[in-house]
Amino acid sequence: MLLEAKHLTKTFGKYVAVNDLNLKIKKGSFTALLGPNGAGKSSTMNMLIGLSKPTSGELIYSDKIKLGVVFQNSVLDEMLTVQENLQIRAKQYRHVSKNKVNEVIQQLGLNEFTGQRYGTLSGGQKRRVDIARALLNDPDILFLDEPTTALDIQTRTAIWHLLQELQQSKELTIILTTHYLDEADSADDVYIIDHGMLIVEGTAADIKEQYAEDILHITTSDVDRLCKNSKISPIRKTTTQVIYSLSNSKDALEILTANKSLITNFEFRPGTMDDAFLALTGNEVH
Amino acid sequence: MKSMIKRNLLLYFRNHSGVFFSLMGALISFILYLVFLKKNMQSSWSQVPNSTILLDLWLIGGTLSITSITTTLSSLSQSVIDKEKHITQDLELTDAGPFRLQMSYLLSSTIIGILMQLIMFAIMLGYFYVTDKLTVTGGQFIDIFGLMIISSLLATAVNSLIIRYIHKSDNLNKVGTIVGTGAGFLVGTYIPIGSLPNFAQNLVKITPGSYVASLFRQYLMGNKLNNVFKNSVSSRNHFDRLMGIRLEWSHLLTQKETYLIMVLIFVGALILLIGSQWLQNRRQMYLLQEK
Repeated sequence: MLLEAKHLTKTFGKYVAVNDLNLKIKKGSFTALLGPNGAGKSSTMNMLIGLSKPTSGELIYSDKIKLGVVFQNSVLDEMLTVQENLQIRAKQYRHVSKNKVNEVIQQLGLNEFTGQRYGTLSGGQKRRVDIARALLNDPDILFLDEPTTALDIQTRTAIWHLLQELQQSKELTIILTTHYLDEADSADDVYIIDHGMLIVEGTAADIKEQYAEDILHITTSDVDRLCKNSKISPIRKTTTQVIYSLSNSKDALEILTANKSLITNFEFRPGTMDDAFLALTGNEVH
Repeated sequence: MKSMIKRNLLLYFRNHSGVFFSLMGALISFILYLVFLKKNMQSSWSQVPNSTILLDLWLIGGTLSITSITTTLSSLSQSVIDKEKHITQDLELTDAGPFRLQMSYLLSSTIIGILMQLIMFAIMLGYFYVTDKLTVTGGQFIDIFGLMIISSLLATAVNSLIIRYIHKSDNLNKVGTIVGTGAGFLVGTYIPIGSLPNFAQNLVKITPGSYVASLFRQYLMGNKLNNVFKNSVSSRNHFDRLMGIRLEWSHLLTQKETYLIMVLIFVGALILLIGSQWLQNRRQMYLLQEK
């Protein structure tokens, strides 16, 4: 185990930001901390990287561990070029080789804009430089606090591919927070947190399987007969449509075959992370 | 630490408008003198031989002192910006540690103070050379350069104390404006200290920069004043007192006494700085545990 958090708790006065959280991070794993705004993701992150001390609980790191952090807000200097920024940060570490800056530039494909000032880069380019900066000290764990927030879908996908590639090629352990649920799909381990508490932990597939209902949408000529034919009652019906929320696809198949002649059209949608998330955290806005 | 100093210097000099505004106080003093005050002061000192050159040198002394105050303040503001943008957190996670980080701010501010004084000195000397044939000797330049270093160290130490209590760059700009405009009056450059009422004179005397200004004036004007007032110690004293060339406590301070006062202010500021840093660290530790 590279990092283990036991009963991690953080309070600010009476407000409990993180409540008795347990985490286990394996080497080479990709962990996503998922939660709505104000769920306690950033507070958790700050404790994990050592910027704030837990009120109670324990953090156990493996020996001589090196951490790399991509902060939510950019921490590089707008007036300096990409090369200058990386060079200066590299010098702040004791054991970073001279070649390292060029190495991360190659690795993250920053070549085209190394001479450009950081402030003039696009959002996606900036993020790549931020990640390059976090890799300067060859970290064992890379932490990213909402790395894809405010990026367009193309850039988000690109950053995501980049991270997966880093995880695979370098056996990098990655922990990130996000509120884009689809991103958690490709994580090995997902922790859903709300109100500072762990609600569920597991792989994305497990969580969806367990907490996201499949949706079956049927357009029919005879709503009443269709409803009578099936044991399961629909969650909603209109004059032409019946909508079921089902725990597995077998049930869907059953309904469909039993009502073959009545169905003019249908749509089956497997449960998504969004469904699981809403089922787990409720609909209220924080 | 070397690379952090390089960073701070790059950030200061790349921000052209920032450089200009950090020189504002000094430029106001220079331009105010050229446009409004020079003529008036010349006519009141017309009985003194070489009065034009003497007044030019007097202005240079005060303006250099303002320069070190405003430019070091502007450079130190990087530390506030870094804190506000959480850059400090990123830096503290490196191997460099908070002490070296703090030292890098102080050293870069000192270097910037020295460089900007040199630049202002070159501008003013160049201008007065063209208009009034003003020159300085090599010996004078060495004295002045040494004093620029000391002045920059002193201004950095004192300004760091002010900066400690500012946490937002918005407030920083306000303080910068106040210091920039106030400095000219407080080191007795816009108006000679002798023409101020008593209360204002005391204000000038509690401003560290006014001692720096007085030493600059002594180095720059000393030889010429010795000639001009060869036969009259009392008029020399009167002139020194009026123009702030030597500041008066119970008597007119000697050069040694002035240096001693500056060293005391410097050491005092350092002790306060380290003390308050220590207190803050303790409070932070306490808060961290509390949190």
